[in-house]
Amino acid sequence: MEFIYYFGDVFTPINFGLLLLGTIGGLILGATPGLSPTMAVALLIPFTFQLEAAQGLILLGAAYTSTVAGGAVSAILLKIPGAPANIATTLDGHEMALNGEGAKALQLSFLSSAVGGVFGVLLLIFLTPVLAQWALAFGPSHLFWLAILGVTVIGSLDSKSVVKGLLSGCIGLWLATIGFDDIMGAQRFIFHPSLGGGINIIAALIGLFAIPQVITMFAKGRKNDGTEAIKVQKHPIKGAISELFRYKRAMGIGTLTGSIIGLIPGVGGQIAGLVAYDQSKKFSSDRDKYGTGHPEGLIAAESANNAMVGPSLVPLLTLSIPGSPTAAVLLGGLLIHGIFPGTDLFDNHPDVAWTFINSMLIGQILMCIFGLYVAGMAARVAQVPQSMMAAIVLGLAVFGSYSVQSSMGDVYVMASLGVMMYFLERFGFSAAPLVLGLILGPIAESNFIQGSMIATATDGLAPYFFGGPLNLFLIAVVVLSVLYSAYMELRSRRYISKEDIVA
Amino acid sequence: MKKLLAGAAIALMGLTQTATADGHANYPERPIMMMVSYGAGGATDFQARIVTMTAGNEDALGMPVAILNKPGAGGRVGWNWLAGQAEADGYTLGAYNVPHFIAQSIKGGVEYSAASFEPIANWGADPAVLVVGKDSEFNTLQDVIDFTKANPGKLTTSGAGLFVGHHIAALQMEKAGDMKMAYIPTKGGGAAALKAVIAGDVMAGINNLSDAFRAAQAGNVKILAVADLERNEFLPDVPTMMESGLDVDNASVNFRGVMVPKGTPQGIIDKLAATVPTMFENGRVQGKMKAGGSPMHVMNREEVLAMWAAREVALKELLAGL
Amino acid sequence: MSVINLPRLQHIIGSGVVAAVGATVCYISYTQTPSEAFLFPRLIATVFVVLALWTFVKACLGWTKVGNGISLTQFKNLAPGLIIALIYIFWAAKGLGFYTATTIAFFILLSLYDPAPHTAVKSWVKRIITTACFMAVMYGLFALLLKVYTPREIFF
Repeated sequence: MEFIYYFGDVFTPINFGLLLLGTIGGLILGATPGLSPTMAVALLIPFTFQLEAAQGLILLGAAYTSTVAGGAVSAILLKIPGAPANIATTLDGHEMALNGEGAKALQLSFLSSAVGGVFGVLLLIFLTPVLAQWALAFGPSHLFWLAILGVTVIGSLDSKSVVKGLLSGCIGLWLATIGFDDIMGAQRFIFHPSLGGGINIIAALIGLFAIPQVITMFAKGRKNDGTEAIKVQKHPIKGAISELFRYKRAMGIGTLTGSIIGLIPGVGGQIAGLVAYDQSKKFSSDRDKYGTGHPEGLIAAESANNAMVGPSLVPLLTLSIPGSPTAAVLLGGLLIHGIFPGTDLFDNHPDVAWTFINSMLIGQILMCIFGLYVAGMAARVAQVPQSMMAAIVLGLAVFGSYSVQSSMGDVYVMASLGVMMYFLERFGFSAAPLVLGLILGPIAESNFIQGSMIATATDGLAPYFFGGPLNLFLIAVVVLSVLYSAYMELRSRRYISKEDIVA
Repeated sequence: MKKLLAGAAIALMGLTQTATADGHANYPERPIMMMVSYGAGGATDFQARIVTMTAGNEDALGMPVAILNKPGAGGRVGWNWLAGQAEADGYTLGAYNVPHFIAQSIKGGVEYSAASFEPIANWGADPAVLVVGKDSEFNTLQDVIDFTKANPGKLTTSGAGLFVGHHIAALQMEKAGDMKMAYIPTKGGGAAALKAVIAGDVMAGINNLSDAFRAAQAGNVKILAVADLERNEFLPDVPTMMESGLDVDNASVNFRGVMVPKGTPQGIIDKLAATVPTMFENGRVQGKMKAGGSPMHVMNREEVLAMWAAREVALKELLAGL
Repeated sequence: MSVINLPRLQHIIGSGVVAAVGATVCYISYTQTPSEAFLFPRLIATVFVVLALWTFVKACLGWTKVGNGISLTQFKNLAPGLIIALIYIFWAAKGLGFYTATTIAFFILLSLYDPAPHTAVKSWVKRIITTACFMAVMYGLFALLLKVYTPREIFF
């Protein structure tokens, strides 16, 4: 209960001002395509040089929570996921915006972000010691199986065809191997110097999601019949809250999946949203509505990606190991003030530790209030005429992918992947499984290689990868997931008429 | 319309080119970019941000330095970019890690060598240390050596990658002790390698002194030995490998500093070489580095040139048998 | 069932290209060294090529639900925009500088696809104002706030 004692510190004028600045700034940075939470936090580090330790961390903590939520804005309105965490948000969120429900989608996303986020931070406050053990329990073999579990999600993410979903996933897995291999340092598939650094995931996300959309808008041509204009429905905040309660199950699945997966070092943040989306889809009775602008999908994805924020800091705060790139940047913010995370932090600088954690808690709520306030206004983006929208999204995509690491190569990769994805989409492939493959490939590969190196030096491959309760549990989940997808595929096949198949 | 625009564009391009022919008296005229070939939050990135934080002061460069991360493949991605694609105009600096980039260039498969870059100054020296988990049965380096000799190839030892300082230290240990370890390179740099030690995924690890020092302070690991010529001021109680009877010198010490791609105008190199070391010696920089547990070691351009050359010889000899 | 129409032909070509890419990837992975580094790519490439061939065969035999394909009108509509976008990204952005190139590309795209008549002065004024506003926002966000140093050959 120590954290309550330090609540007062958050509300001193300077600290609260910094919190507001971090929250609002974070929302704007998060909504900017190409700026992942990691980069946003890294951008703010120089400002913390001038501040006291606690103040600097308030700024960083608030910015971290709200950039994650802010990423949903561009995901919903422009279909550009700001970070891997927001991929699942685009699936239903952008469809809702296209249906004129942009305001509702934004409200739901901020509300579920706040619920998930608060839950995640509370976990961080109360269960840190337990969670730290859990975070350490994942060795290379477990991470490998976890990545495989992610791969099994690939097939079912694409509702149209399992084979094409898997094929998209394979293309993504292959694209992920381009560049220098991380362990051996061998060059693989470097057809062009821009590919030397591999495919940057943020640039790829922008290309795969935004560019096909731009081309689709081009394909509609110069229309002047007025049918294109989307009527943006106003949506009361009270309605959004009651909607949230209607989809308690999606909310719960999202929050739990997000906080459990978010804890696992190196993997969590990127796939929490997609796994939660997939799980809530499997448990939902409105399975078929997913992907058509169904609030449940949006709620599950957004609650999951904010629930991950708190737990993702557990390994950093307790063991001094940054579990995610963003945590690594936060580590820098602590070190610069001579504070070492770990026992030192909670024993000798409790004011810094708890003010930081409290600021994330309050930050979640501020983020939600501010987000709800602007949701109605921001949703008007959908009314921007198609012609203008195409040019705006194209410009943002170019600037966004360039600013990831000031590299023209990333822009070329972004554009090439985007154009390719447009044509693939026309033939029934979809971007989400491809991106999932792109994310999971390196995780699966490096952990497999590392695991097999450890295994050959110790007790052999089979006992290492198949031994121990956690391995067996993960394998069981993988098998169940595959069986379930196969069962659903067969069941839906029986109901699809012949015409549908050939159509 | 388009032709007209293109024509106008070409005309304008001609105009701007004439404006850059003067000397470098006014350098720098705009913010400078420094490439770090490791991810944001890594030890190199963290230190690079601290040592450049006073660059904007009038007595330093007078312009801020922005850090640009190009991580991947143990640094190869970033250094390839610096050698091949970066503009040698003085506005693109790079952070170097010795022995990493020299060892990689000796092993081949990259587009750079020590001759592709011009050093400016060195800011830090971070020795490799041998760490084990807090509950490990190993308490001294001798315990580790005894185990490895009795079980060749069974001592799983994590490190940040192949042909980085950690790997060099492991190779030297194997050579000096005439033994075989199982070196496990991790993806995700020193932090991931340290996590493997703390979680017990591996039996031992070789890591940066700065990162291991923090983990040891938090009570998560034991540091058994330092691969350097002398004991380190941060760890006065930890013996060097030589003291413990393993003939490992300081070839694996991770020297960090600033360099520019070859082809950068000599005037700019001279100016940087004169200002950058004083920037590193700034009191605020020193204070922050010490607070963060990062050992500093400032060297000027001539010293770095000599250090690079010496390392290259030593590494060629060490890696010859592989 | 086996009527060859435009979407199906496109589908056959599309999945054929994917299969060809798969085969190339497979070939490269099995011939490159060091083999340890290509272990994983080989695994992926094998699954990739099997799935791609299966899709290709299904497309040829017409067993599968084809995507929407691209109609001729759609293609005619998208071609000019796509060409300008590609010139903008692959040449102009670096050759002319980011802000100059974006201004030009934005204005051309807007003029091409904006339904307002090309004869009215008012709609041209509106286009110029829109372009200026967009560029001002981009400059403020990326150059002033985020301090991204973009290639700038001419002007800013």
